[in-house]
Amino acid sequence: MLLEEKTSQEQAFEPLIVAFCCNWCSYAGADLAGTSRLQYPANVKIIKVPCSCRVNPNFVLRAFQKGADGVVIAGCHPGDCHYSTGNYFTRRRFTLLMNMLDFIGIEKERFTVDWISAAEGSKFAAVMNGVLEKVHKLGPNRKMRDKRWKR
Amino acid sequence: MEKIAAAVRERAKRALATGEVDRVFAWKRGEFWYDVTPAVFETADETDELLWDSFCVANLSKYLTGAVRQGFKVGVFVKGCDALAFNQLLQDNRISRENVRLFGLPCPGMVDPEKLKKAKRYRGVRAVARAGDVLALQGKHGEQQVEAPAYLYDKCLVCRHPNPVVYDELLAEPQPVRTPDSDRFALVNELEAMSAEEKFLFWQEQFDKCIRCNACRNICPACSCEKCIFDNGESGVAAKANADSCEEQFFHLIRAYHVAGRCVDCGECSRVCPAGIPLHLLNRKIIKDIQAIYGDYEAGLDPNVPAPLATYRLDDADPFDGHQKGGKK
Repeated sequence: MLLEEKTSQEQAFEPLIVAFCCNWCSYAGADLAGTSRLQYPANVKIIKVPCSCRVNPNFVLRAFQKGADGVVIAGCHPGDCHYSTGNYFTRRRFTLLMNMLDFIGIEKERFTVDWISAAEGSKFAAVMNGVLEKVHKLGPNRKMRDKRWKR
Repeated sequence: MEKIAAAVRERAKRALATGEVDRVFAWKRGEFWYDVTPAVFETADETDELLWDSFCVANLSKYLTGAVRQGFKVGVFVKGCDALAFNQLLQDNRISRENVRLFGLPCPGMVDPEKLKKAKRYRGVRAVARAGDVLALQGKHGEQQVEAPAYLYDKCLVCRHPNPVVYDELLAEPQPVRTPDSDRFALVNELEAMSAEEKFLFWQEQFDKCIRCNACRNICPACSCEKCIFDNGESGVAAKANADSCEEQFFHLIRAYHVAGRCVDCGECSRVCPAGIPLHLLNRKIIKDIQAIYGDYEAGLDPNVPAPLATYRLDDADPFDGHQKGGKK
């Protein structure tokens, strides 16, 4: 191992979490968490999407490649989708993707899907804290990292 | 099999001579005795070259997409797995049923030349004849008879549909379904039982072999998009970057995912892979999950049943609601 690499590992590990939040529920939930002054880590980078089903599996893999240690997809509760049915498709698609990531040896804990409504600011904070804690335990994601990518 | 081959040739000749179809898609001899290649026949005279033997493994259904789009009426020979592929293409609106004449061929399972090679049965062979499950390898020094099942493709050993599920006319007696020695998900189960580290090492070793030739994509009857994400130079995943294993990982995950719920498990992806990556395992993992979570569904059996990822149910399993707070119950 290179000396440089070693020292960078010894530095405190600050996980990077990418959260895809649906515009109608989870993004508003994040907003509520903010205005309610709830504590959630600054390591979470939120990407707003019109609906959780807008998230393509490519996005998830890309996020992992380009530096994310964990990825979260947050959408409206099933039944509450602004577009009526979007999150039902999310549910099927990402159930399969989650199993697939597990199948090729990516830890399941790195990828989370959760339903967070606009009124659930506290749940948003809880989910993000939970993910961060799990990813912290797992350490940096090396398995899917694009080696050209430098933090 | 030779008798059926004669009937096949005869039928193709008649179809072309009477103008029943403009083209016939079938197989002809390639360079070597084990080398059978898909071929297009346009006139009745050409059909003398047409053949049906133990190496006609190539799936012809996918070639239909281009010909049917050009407005040709095409006659095509389909084995069991090709018929599933045909149905899948039909469901994906890639071909129209009325422009295709389907000649069904019950398939006794195709012989894998690699297996013959490994068993050292390869040398000096000039031709292979077949009667039922007995292969006659005809060489310079006479004939050798071997049991066919030992040399069939792995995918043929676990075949569920040796007889075409859709056809206009069947050209031979239906074949009995083989009882496989092992479940087709046996290897998937084995992999699932490994630890994350082991699984990762296994797949990384496999993906590292990938040369990004796109053969798996091109052969796949479910991969029928006219524009493919992997042809987009802007996508960043269009070609191989040698230094980066992540590109292969991305390619293979997305390739398998794009055919999720539409893969007919014909196993062609693994067969054509020049690097020998067991790609079908990724597809089978998805098939297994779909069957376990969303109930029995087999792609290609019935084009009118919606694909599992194109539909949903209100009471689908929800692996994500660990918190059980809020939302409609």
